[in-house]
Amino acid sequence: MNAGTPAGLRPPRNQADPRAVAWWTAQGLILLVPVAAGAVAAYWILTSRPVWLGACVALFTAGCVALAVLAPRATYRVERWEVTDQAVYTRKGWLTHTWRVAPMSRIQRVDTARGPVQRLFGLADVTVTTASSAGAIKIEALDHEVAAELAERLTALTQATPGDAT
Amino acid sequence: MNDDPFLEEGWRRLAGRSLLASAVKSLAIVAGVVAGLLRFLTSRDWPIGGIAAVCAAAATLVVSAVVAYDVARLRTTRWRLTRERLELRSGVTLRRHRSIPLDRVRSVNLRADPVARVFGLTVVKVGTGEHAAEGTELVLDPLTRHEAESLRRTLLRQDERPASGEGPLAELRWSWIRYAPLSLWSFTGAALVLGVLYKALNSFGAKRLVTEAADGLWDWVTARPLVAVPLILAVNLAVGVLGAVLLFAESWGRYRLEREPGRLRLHRGLLTTRSLTLEERRLRGVEISEPLLLRLGGGARVKTIATGLGKADEHETEDAAALTPPLPRALAWSLATKIANIPATPPTPIAPRTDALGHAAPMDSPWPPAGVTGHGTGRHRATERDAGEAAEPEASAGALGMGALVPHPAAARRRRIVRALVTVAVLALAAGLASWLLPWQWSRAAVWAIPAPALPFGMWLAVESARSLGHALGRRHLVTRQGAVVRRTIALDRRGVSGWTITESYFQRRSGLLTVSAATAAGKGHYDVVDVDRGDGLELAARAVPGLLEPFLVREKK
Repeated sequence: MNAGTPAGLRPPRNQADPRAVAWWTAQGLILLVPVAAGAVAAYWILTSRPVWLGACVALFTAGCVALAVLAPRATYRVERWEVTDQAVYTRKGWLTHTWRVAPMSRIQRVDTARGPVQRLFGLADVTVTTASSAGAIKIEALDHEVAAELAERLTALTQATPGDAT
Repeated sequence: MNDDPFLEEGWRRLAGRSLLASAVKSLAIVAGVVAGLLRFLTSRDWPIGGIAAVCAAAATLVVSAVVAYDVARLRTTRWRLTRERLELRSGVTLRRHRSIPLDRVRSVNLRADPVARVFGLTVVKVGTGEHAAEGTELVLDPLTRHEAESLRRTLLRQDERPASGEGPLAELRWSWIRYAPLSLWSFTGAALVLGVLYKALNSFGAKRLVTEAADGLWDWVTARPLVAVPLILAVNLAVGVLGAVLLFAESWGRYRLEREPGRLRLHRGLLTTRSLTLEERRLRGVEISEPLLLRLGGGARVKTIATGLGKADEHETEDAAALTPPLPRALAWSLATKIANIPATPPTPIAPRTDALGHAAPMDSPWPPAGVTGHGTGRHRATERDAGEAAEPEASAGALGMGALVPHPAAARRRRIVRALVTVAVLALAAGLASWLLPWQWSRAAVWAIPAPALPFGMWLAVESARSLGHALGRRHLVTRQGAVVRRTIALDRRGVSGWTITESYFQRRSGLLTVSAATAAGKGHYDVVDVDRGDGLELAARAVPGLLEPFLVREKK
C-alpha cells in the first residue's frame, strides 16, 4: 500500500454522456448568440460603421462562437466521475484542477435534477450533499437513466452505511 | 434526577418576577422619551408644572405598556418537560408550539443581564445543535435562577455531584488583561465611541454645540498641527485601550472553563453572566488563533471547532466558538491539547496506525512531538524551520512549537513573493499613469504614497504567511496552520473529516504544489492545507483518513 510517494491522483473512470457536448454547446449558443447578435446590431445601427470597430465586433463574435463550440469539448474531456462502494470521486477544471472525494458514510442527500433544455437531450445531473458547508459534489450531464440508477445505488449504499453523517 | 421536580408537573409558567425586570428595563425607554419631550416642550415655553405633568404621564404610559405586554406574554407562554421532550407554547398574537426531543438537546446556555441578576432571573436557551438557520433554539425567557440551573442539569442528564475532581480547565487570571489592548479596538474604539456620542448628542438637539466644538477642534489642529495631531492620537489610543480593557473585563470576568462528563462548560461575564455548555461529541477539533498584535505580545486564544455552533447573538461581544480570552501562548497550547485530547467517542480501530517511517504514532497528544512528524521525505524540514521560534523554550517544552509542524516547500514562499510583487507592480503602474495624467504638480508625487509602502508591507505579508504555513498528522488530529495577519493553527479530528477537495491551479501545478482541503461538518466547513508539496499533501490526506483517498492515488514505484 505504501509503495513510494504519491505522484498524483488518477483520473476517475467515467465521463459524462457524449450527448453532454451537444447540450453544453446548445446552452452556450443560447447564452452567447444573443450577446454576439446584440453587438453586431449595435455596430450596424448605432455607429457610422468604421472599419476598425467592425474588425473588433467580428473578432468578438468569432470569440463567442468559438467559446460556445470549444469550451464544451474541453469540459467533456476534463470532467470525470467515479462511484465506488466506499466513495464518490470527481474531477473537474481545466486551468485549476479540482478533485473531490466524499465517503459514503458522510453522504446526507442524493438529488437528481433535469433542466428544460437538458431534458431535450435526455440528460440529468446528480448532486451529492454532505454535512460540510464546503459544498455539494455535482456529477453533471449523465444519461437520465444512468443518473436515476446512480442515485438509487448511492441512496442504497448510504443507507447501508451506519453513522449520522457528520 | 429520579426525584426530578420538573417531570409530572404538567405545564409550567415562566418566572413572574420578569414583570419587575421589564419595568426596570423600560426605564431606559422612559429616559429617552422624557429627554425628547423636555427638549420639545421647553422650546415651546411651557410652564414647568405642565412639563413635569406631561413627562410623568408619558413615563407611566411607557412603563405600563411594557408591563402589559409582558403580562400578556407571560400569560400566554407555557412550557413543560416530559420524559421524552421539552415543549414550549408561546405567542401573544401568533401561537406557536415548539417541541424538542430530549435526546436531541446539545446545548443549554444560560444568560443573565445585570437587571435580571438583581431579580434572580436567567434566560435559558436550549439548542439542538443543528446546522439550521434562526429559530432552532428554544428560549425560556426568563426562569428563576434556581429553576434554570436544575433544568440545565436535567436536560443534560447530569448528576448533582461535581464532574471530576480535577478542578476547572482554566480560570481567569487578571494578569491576562494585559492582552486586552492588543486588538484593533485600541485603535478604532475611541473613534467608535466618538461616533456614538456624536449621534446621541445630535438626537438630543445639541447639534449646534457639537458642530461648534468640532469647528473649534479643527481650528486648533490647523493652527498647531505639531502639538495637536500627536495629542489626538495619544488620546485616541488611551480611550481605545481603556475601552478594550473594560470590554475584556465585562466579557471575561469570572471566566471559568470546566469539563463535566461528556461536555465542556464555560462561565463568563462580569455584569451579564453567561454559561455555555457544549457537548464534547459535537467537538471536531480546536483552533488556536493568533492575530498579529496578540501574536507580537505573546498571546493566543483557543476556539472550538464544533458542529451546529450558531453565530453569536447581536449583542454578544464574543463569537460563540471562543473558549478562552486572550491568554499566554504556552497556556493556550496546553489548554488546546487538554480540550482536544479526551476520547469523545471510543477509539475506532483506524486510529492507532503505524506510520510509514516505522515508528508508532505519537502517544495521546494530538500535537505530534517535534521530529516524529516528517512523513514522506521530510527533505525541507531542517532547512526552513524558523530558528527563533524553535528556540523558544515554552514552545519546544510542550512539543507544540513551530518546529512541530512540517513547513511547506520554498515554492510556496516564491508564489507569495511573486504575488506581492505583481500587486505592487500593478499599483505602481496605476500610480505612474495617474501621475502622468494628473494636472497638479503636488499630486504627482502624492500618488506614489500608495505603492511605496505597499512594497515592504507586501513582502512582509508574503514571507510571514509562507513562514506560518505548516501541517502535521497526529494520532487523532490533522494539524494545519496558515495566515499572516491572523495566524490560525487548527487541529481537526481525523474522524471529523467528511471528504477531501484537492485543488491545483495552473501555477501551483508548475511549482509542484497543491491545496488539500478537508471538509467537515463543523466550524467553517472546510480546513485547508495550503500550498503543500504535491506528494506530501496527498500522503497527508491519504493517511489522515485511511482508505478514503488511497484507491485513487497513483504511487511512484520505489
